[in-house]
Amino acid sequence: MLSASHLTRRFGDRLAVDDVSFDLRPGEIFALLGPNGAGKTTTLRMLAGLIAPTSGTVLREGGIGFLTETPGLWERLTVRQNLTVYARLHGLTPVDRAVDEALTAFGVLDRARDLAAQLSKGLKQRVALARALLHKPPIVLLDEPTAGLDPQSARDVRELVLGLRDRGHAVLLCTHNLDEVERIADRVAVLRGRLIAVDTPGALRARMFGARLRVVTAQPAAAFAGLLAPHGFADVLAEGETLSIAVDDPAAAAPRIVRLLVDGGAGIVSVAAEEQPLEQVYLRLLEER
Amino acid sequence: MSRVLAVLGKDLADLRQNPAIFIPALLVAASGIVMPFFVAIIVPYVAGERLADSGDFQVALEMYREQPGTRDLDPEGAIQAWLFQQFLVMLMLAPTAASMAVAAHSVIGEKQARTLEPLLATPITTFELLLAKVLAALVPTLLLSVGCYVIYVAGIAMFARPGVYAALLTGRSLAVMFLLGPLAALAALQLAVCVSSRVNDPRSAQQLGALVILPMAGLFVAQISGAFLLTAAVIALIALVLAAVNAALMKTAIALFDRESILTRWK
Repeated sequence: MLSASHLTRRFGDRLAVDDVSFDLRPGEIFALLGPNGAGKTTTLRMLAGLIAPTSGTVLREGGIGFLTETPGLWERLTVRQNLTVYARLHGLTPVDRAVDEALTAFGVLDRARDLAAQLSKGLKQRVALARALLHKPPIVLLDEPTAGLDPQSARDVRELVLGLRDRGHAVLLCTHNLDEVERIADRVAVLRGRLIAVDTPGALRARMFGARLRVVTAQPAAAFAGLLAPHGFADVLAEGETLSIAVDDPAAAAPRIVRLLVDGGAGIVSVAAEEQPLEQVYLRLLEER
Repeated sequence: MSRVLAVLGKDLADLRQNPAIFIPALLVAASGIVMPFFVAIIVPYVAGERLADSGDFQVALEMYREQPGTRDLDPEGAIQAWLFQQFLVMLMLAPTAASMAVAAHSVIGEKQARTLEPLLATPITTFELLLAKVLAALVPTLLLSVGCYVIYVAGIAMFARPGVYAALLTGRSLAVMFLLGPLAALAALQLAVCVSSRVNDPRSAQQLGALVILPMAGLFVAQISGAFLLTAAVIALIALVLAAVNAALMKTAIALFDRESILTRWK
């Protein structure tokens, strides 16, 4: 649906984006992560056609809806007036129906007559999303959509983004909020000028930390760590009542490990695949490159 | 054209929500209207001396008594007609100078409010955007000009010598007000919009845009000192020059409007 191929962008001597390639598919949320100055917004602007790449190409199937970092509403105009201008700029007809549909879809129809200046940050972001989606683009680029929002407003915006995915939009999400990415992204790209990694959060986690099983025992875990080594589980960490065991496949290894521990006299409280927070994955990726 | 109208309508709606921006404009226009009445009517009345008694206005007296339409005016009326017509150039400039703030703020204002990037992400072209911005400043200027002119002529009809107002309704006067005025305004506002898209401070745009006012102010001074006379031929020539300047300014504005710089270097 959208394909970035060897995108490179220089600003004078500074290389902002270096040879970035990825595809964005319909019905997925693709998160672009990276530290400040990593080239995320520049990449987004190239994808949106706002600035040209120094080299490389962007192929798009269909229009783009672009939510900028700030809502960018005209504060002295009403919500309806704001959207009406954009409906006209996109050549939508009839204008009123297009605006009503967008306002309804994003739950702000009842605020249509309010001045944009009177809205809360969360509502402004909703209106900005409605504006970005007014012309029903199949591709949606979101630059920090929940930045500065309170938890409830951020959750509302996340739900709207998930709704976009459910309706088949291809969503590219640019954010620093790793918890948000963890919750909603199907694939993640880590950018620091160059693209460091692109994959699903699970695959990145496995790549950086490997798969581990977490077993909580009824007794101090250290007493059972030695039981596993003779059976091929060499990397076992014990802390308090918890064992962390490196495995190839958590689902296949769990029954065998539980049996070995029970046979060794352990009381099993819980068993689960251990997941490193995405933050750890992200930080390790940045450290390694 | 619909995209131009969309942005123009937005800007005009925004201006309606912020009428205070026109307070300086109204003050400038009001002083432009009142000043000639001071010179032509109030000062002579307070001093107890008729303008016709002064030798300073003999040129005006002769000029107006030769022209059809003002030929029948008495000496005092002829001098008043001459004065009111000279000040017409200033009246023409007042709304333009006043609307400079609107034009100067047009692009930099969008930049500062962070509303420009989503706007540029739409199919609007640079020409359409700049045209809308210039028109958004020009429309209030023209409305203000018409309003000033109506008040000016009505004031002359009420307070000046009988028949003086007719001198302000000649083709020459109307051409100054409604041909040179809009063209000069367009040039000044285009320059301000042009500068507005290159600077990071609206004050810079306003000051640089005001440069266009200087030649017109010079015209006023030259005219009132008797060094220059706005004949029909001169008006036509100035109009042609201004039309060419306007065309060149729009081309320059489009060339200077660097979307990438605006997006990537704004603060």
